Amino acid sequence: MSALVNEHATPGPQAGPSPDKSGLPATIPEYLAELRAALADADPAMIQDALYDAEDYLRSEMAAQPGKSEAVVIAEVAGSYGAPDEVADIYRQAEVTVNRALRTPAPPKRTSWVGRFFGIAADPHTYGALFYMLLSLGTGIVYFTWTVVGLSLSLGLLILIVGVPLLLLFLASTRLLSLVEGRIVETLLGVRMPRRPLYSQRDKPWLKRIGEMFTDGRTWTTMLYFLLMLPLGTAYFSIAVTLLATGVGLSAAVLGFFFPDRFNIMFVDWNVTTDAPWMLPLWTAAGIVLLFATLHLARAIGRLHGWLAKHLLVRDPVV
Amino acid sequence: MGDEEAQLRKFQKELSAGTVSLVLLAVLAGADEPLYGYLIAKRLEGLDGVLSGKQSALYPVLRNLEGAGLLESFVEPSMTGPPRRYYRITGAGREVLRDWSAAWRATRDSVDSVLSGIPQ
Repeated sequence: MSALVNEHATPGPQAGPSPDKSGLPATIPEYLAELRAALADADPAMIQDALYDAEDYLRSEMAAQPGKSEAVVIAEVAGSYGAPDEVADIYRQAEVTVNRALRTPAPPKRTSWVGRFFGIAADPHTYGALFYMLLSLGTGIVYFTWTVVGLSLSLGLLILIVGVPLLLLFLASTRLLSLVEGRIVETLLGVRMPRRPLYSQRDKPWLKRIGEMFTDGRTWTTMLYFLLMLPLGTAYFSIAVTLLATGVGLSAAVLGFFFPDRFNIMFVDWNVTTDAPWMLPLWTAAGIVLLFATLHLARAIGRLHGWLAKHLLVRDPVV
Repeated sequence: MGDEEAQLRKFQKELSAGTVSLVLLAVLAGADEPLYGYLIAKRLEGLDGVLSGKQSALYPVLRNLEGAGLLESFVEPSMTGPPRRYYRITGAGREVLRDWSAAWRATRDSVDSVLSGIPQ
């Protein structure tokens, strides 16, 4: 294979497995930009993954063949890995087929009204969402504290020189936290989030990359999300705990039949157990309905929160 | 001619959906150490048939196998580029691989025996 071909990717007759491709990008950033353009209308989380994979492959190939120019390597890779538009097509299809083949099948669609109301209990994402509501109190406090402390500490110390590295470190840490939160959101709420960090663009000078941390809107929306997580997490936790406790308590109302003196349902000073025992089954029924309604609410909150996380955390890849 | 080719494409796509997962599991089960995407792709490079497709198709499959708990992964920094994700097969993955390869062998033998009656 000749290393003479280094201008714009019109590989010579001897230049590799795919001589029929012309107009291939000459550098890795150009390749990634084309891939990004070809995937423009796709799910942003999937774009981020596709770019990560492509850059991993291209850089590994470069490392495996030292001395060759990027254009030559890209021309060769177009045969094995694929040209940007081919890769884009593959990712679009793979996302659909592989997900369909590997995921556990969704519970059957229920048509009756009752079936849909109680069927929520068979959907694994319901419990994920419920668990997320409970978890978000903890994660919300951590994110909020980290953001407020990191921001105020580094801004405050900016007048001294130590503030600068501290601020950069803090910004980098929010990116990592955002990826972690993305994984939690995808696992528990079932919303597609990036599975790989965005590649740092290694060819750009350090200062430019640092500058992009500040101009990238997602840095700031991520922080906004972390700040929002404290009130949201508190609200989610309170809602989940209150409704679950009330639901479980009411469902247990029939126990009043069996332990009349020890298990009382009281409303102020009206004791249902002794004054109107015939109402106990009704309260139990109400409690069960409330529990299932709570599951529906959790699912709805999960969807809403997934939407929020996706819009605030998933970065527009800057390539 | 174009129609025939489209039919062939469609057939290859349907055939590759499961076999690629099977082969990836097998490669990782046979590896002594965890491998990252590029190395896995290189090990498959000489293969023929539906497995000779574009290697970019492997990455999403790896990710989904990991999502299904059949592979596990960790990230390590690399000298040549950004941090690399290494994959390793899990216990569940080995069990699934055993079932899958049994299913594959049975299918292959049956298909071969049916095809043997057809003139080439």
